[in-house]
Amino acid sequence: MITLNHYLFVSGILFAIGLTGVVARRNILTIYMCLEMMLSAANLTLVAFSRFHLTDGLPDYNAQALVFFTITVAAAEVAVGLAIIVALYRTKHSVDVGAVDNLKG
Amino acid sequence: MNPLNIELGLGVLGLLLLLAEPFLSSSRKVLAYVAIAGLLVALLTLITSGGSMSVPATMQEFYIADALALFYKGVAIISTLAVIIISLEYAPVLNKFVAGDNARGKEAGLGEFVSLPLFVCVGMMVMASAKDLITIFVSLELVTVSFYVLVSFMRRSAMSLEAGVKYLILGALSTGLLVYGMAWVYGLTGQMSLDGIQKALVNWKGDNTPLLFGAALVLAGLGFKVAAVPFQIWVPDVYQGAPTPITAFLSVGSKAAGFAVLTRVVETFTAKGSVIGDQVIQLLLILAGATILVGNLSAIAQTNFKRLLGYSSIAHAGYLLLALACVHQHSLAIAPRNIVAFYLATYLPMTFLCFLVLSAAKAQGVGEDLKSLKGLGHKSPLLGLALTIALASLAGLPLTAGFMGKMFVIFAATYESNYLCLALAIIGAATGFYYYFKVILTIYSTPEVETEKIRLSVLSKVMLGVFVAAIIVIGVYPDAIQHVLVAAVK
Repeated sequence: MITLNHYLFVSGILFAIGLTGVVARRNILTIYMCLEMMLSAANLTLVAFSRFHLTDGLPDYNAQALVFFTITVAAAEVAVGLAIIVALYRTKHSVDVGAVDNLKG
Repeated sequence: MNPLNIELGLGVLGLLLLLAEPFLSSSRKVLAYVAIAGLLVALLTLITSGGSMSVPATMQEFYIADALALFYKGVAIISTLAVIIISLEYAPVLNKFVAGDNARGKEAGLGEFVSLPLFVCVGMMVMASAKDLITIFVSLELVTVSFYVLVSFMRRSAMSLEAGVKYLILGALSTGLLVYGMAWVYGLTGQMSLDGIQKALVNWKGDNTPLLFGAALVLAGLGFKVAAVPFQIWVPDVYQGAPTPITAFLSVGSKAAGFAVLTRVVETFTAKGSVIGDQVIQLLLILAGATILVGNLSAIAQTNFKRLLGYSSIAHAGYLLLALACVHQHSLAIAPRNIVAFYLATYLPMTFLCFLVLSAAKAQGVGEDLKSLKGLGHKSPLLGLALTIALASLAGLPLTAGFMGKMFVIFAATYESNYLCLALAIIGAATGFYYYFKVILTIYSTPEVETEKIRLSVLSKVMLGVFVAAIIVIGVYPDAIQHVLVAAVK
């Protein structure tokens, strides 16, 4: 029997992998994929809580509405983000985080 | 009147401007003037019908139009207006870094640069009214995603792109933290609306660790938006690299909207009887103390004016967080949420003045380093004077707006007996006097090389006059703002 805790455990691991990737990886595209993984972890948590939070035998659909918004926003973010990364590649010919270290102080 | 009408109107105006841009045969500046007119109409509507706003029953669950919300809506509209006026000054620089060599004459990019701030404005206005996790998330993302584009707008400038990428990654990271935190808060309380969450927190039985985990993640996500230490790492780089009008927008608009949401969220978490109230206050105090200290101390060594203003923006976020954490004090007639709103209202004119001068200087070939501002006070006495007043106000000189804001925060901390944070706030304020007055000294020193006088358009001159007047009037007669805030509460 799969319980709420199983889902929370998996989503927690997913979130931790995403966060580690953002901190540890050097390639901006990989970092971006890890960021999407963090959003997926949040979505999984929301859906799991919604499924196990029954009112009158039905799941709580508020959380599922938020999931749809998150997916849409993530898509918008990817569209804008990839455009910026492409523009960066055109000027620097690299998508390594080392390419963006001119601003400091 | 339904307050959402203003937001919808501005959003439609933004879309129309975007559509009109390709077909425009005359100068693109017309678009900016239309946007300014639209924003003025919106501001007028807000002021004249502010008292008679009523939210339809179907929307009341997630949308609120109290005095605080209306106040922050006003701040959003005024900062958008200021940003568009500043971008008119900055247009030559934008054109240089957006257009290719063969399209320099066409004012390329100015159209999008006018309509995107309108979308940001809509997002910020909804944020001011949001009282539901979904609404908070969607409006916050409208602001953030529009800012990704605006920060990296000068796509032929390596600095702007670098700032854009940094803002993109850290902004998306904060979104991840925020949504994950929201998922936990929702999952534990079973509620999406802040009112429901507050009730659940008061009636909570059992272990509060998971609740605290969710609340901390939400605060971390919002901490990124308002630039609280340790989530401030993006601020200096992004502020320096972004187009100057957008830096001003980030520094005032984005911060004000972030604090509007933060005020409501913190009030929910720290409501009377909430099981996580004390811990959240502790967390806020730690953030506030660290933010004040890091912001002020790092600003000392800066030689780039934009970067210095970035650190100053972090420092001011610290004072705002400190005010927010003083939830217990009842001796002061002004509530924490109103101290924060008041502080932001004083922060708006002084910051925009600095960035207006910076934008005009940059567009006319003067650099952003402190030493290139040398002699500004002799060449353009009025501009120098305006900048001096703005900087003195940022430092918190008595009889300027900045002094009143800091005074309320320090009083609140005293009544609350947060002596450690109080000490940090005073050390921070003293440091502020050093680095802001260093800039004033630079303005009035003799330059090594002669440079051109900086000229401003009529619109910018009007803005300059209004904001200088606002700084002095609020500094001498702070009741002006307090009336707006208190009237809204009744």
